[in-house]
Amino acid sequence: MSANFYKILTILVLFSSAAIADENAKGMKLFNEKAMCATCHTMKAAGSKGNVGPNLDTLKPTVAQVKDIVTHGLGAMPAFGEDGLLTPEEIDTVSIYVAKNAGK
Amino acid sequence: MKKRKSNINPSRRKFLTGSATVAGVAAASALVPIKVSYANHTASDAKGLPGFIKWKKRSSLIIHSDKTMETHREAIGSSVITPIRHIYIRNNMPTMTDAQIGKKSQWKLKVEGVKNPKTFTLSQLQNLGRTTMATVLQCSGNGRGFFPHKPRGSQWKTGAAACVMWTGIPLSTVIKACGGLSGGAKYVTATGSDMPSNLDPKKALVERSVPVKVKKDAMLAWEMNGVALPNAHGGPLRFIPPGYFGINNVKHCGKIAFTKDQSQVKYMKKSYRISPIGKKGSQYPSCWEMPVKSWITSPMKRSSSGNVSISGVAFGGTRKVSSVSVSTDGGKNWKKAKLIGPDLGKFAWRQFVFNAKLKPGKYNIASKASAGGKSQPKLRMENRRGYAHNGWRDHSLNISVS
Ligand code: HEC
Repeated sequence: MSANFYKILTILVLFSSAAIADENAKGMKLFNEKAMCATCHTMKAAGSKGNVGPNLDTLKPTVAQVKDIVTHGLGAMPAFGEDGLLTPEEIDTVSIYVAKNAGK
Repeated sequence: MKKRKSNINPSRRKFLTGSATVAGVAAASALVPIKVSYANHTASDAKGLPGFIKWKKRSSLIIHSDKTMETHREAIGSSVITPIRHIYIRNNMPTMTDAQIGKKSQWKLKVEGVKNPKTFTLSQLQNLGRTTMATVLQCSGNGRGFFPHKPRGSQWKTGAAACVMWTGIPLSTVIKACGGLSGGAKYVTATGSDMPSNLDPKKALVERSVPVKVKKDAMLAWEMNGVALPNAHGGPLRFIPPGYFGINNVKHCGKIAFTKDQSQVKYMKKSYRISPIGKKGSQYPSCWEMPVKSWITSPMKRSSSGNVSISGVAFGGTRKVSSVSVSTDGGKNWKKAKLIGPDLGKFAWRQFVFNAKLKPGKYNIASKASAGGKSQPKLRMENRRGYAHNGWRDHSLNISVS
């Protein structure tokens, strides 16, 4: 295979890992700031020690689980989706972020 | 009420009460992991139990999260009263710390909706009257783990339940000390003092109303199974309306009010409503009186052939258990089990045993209790949040006899 191919491949890989890092940063920002999951949840990767809801590092939820609860809420947890506190894109971002980082 | 310690910065607090300036917060903070020192629930030892319940027995518990754990089915034991180190944990708010509670004897209970509204300290209550009562404490969601639509929340099977011996003061004595009810009350509304001050009471205050008729049997408890009520179970004072689901047994109780209306907080109006799948709202029944229920605790998986003692627990909520039947063939045939052990009153559970003669093979063993003219149904009552499951089929066990 040509050297060019590898060059392009390297660029693609670099680009997509940069995109992933960007998504991760966006997720953390949502978690700690706009959605303030941090006030109620502990998650080491985000530096949060909230204590109202379960420790997410212990829980290690799946993307679907996080999405479900962030959309509909539960008990003292707000329904971020139903009540329009976050957009569907933001819910996706923060859910992927939590599923990826919980327990790390 | 008491002031909670919280190092969460003020702008974060505001968000939770609904007046956030989100943009302002975002602009001011750099994108690094934040530091909020507000946890007492972090795992504290090698056993993997969170600090606030490190005195529990790890091997008796199934850990769903650092805040929710249930008793292993076999760890309920067969001595009627559940050992305190095995009892499940399900607290809607963070358990109050000793520092937040302060001097326990000075814990305050406000009483409203009576002729002479008063505030009592715990030590005053302890010198006013006393009673001891056994009740079944059961989370509304006990059995949620059997629902195929996988409702949100902890997937409890049988272990979010315990039979507890409480000591405290009868509610009726408290009412008398306040000159009687002021009239027109339809509900007893109990309020927990455990909500962190950065949360919005409308959304997070644990305040529950139950029909005023509970005043006949209800109590305020400061002792559980012979020891001072632990913080993790709502100490130093907990409201006990016997026969009602766990949520109504308000922990860290700071106020009792006799009210015309139900509380307007989310935990009363919206949460803990038994609604069809896909529907919700305050028009649906609240998780109040527990329906009749039983389950087998032994044998769990296998047994040797011959005489097999099948035993378990049965309770009727606010009604006395009249009988329990056991099936060894998946509910085709039922035989009466024997109620054994002490009868600790209609709010406690009864032990039952049935001696079956079993040949080697596979069996589906089930139990079905009756109380107040009602028997457990075969199937669960499907509902959105997976509450109040008392169907016998899901609670049956498959065992192999060799
Ligand atoms: C006001 C406090 C609060 C905030 C803010 C909050 N949560 Fe929660 N969260 C809770 C509580 C309380 C529970 C447990 C609810 C229950 O079991 O009744 C919970 C439960 C969860 C669960 C477990 C669900 C399950 O199936 O058991 C996940 C995952 C979760 N939260 C993620 C998040 C994320 C992500 C955010 C931010 C978008 C967030 N939470 C914001 C309080 C909060």
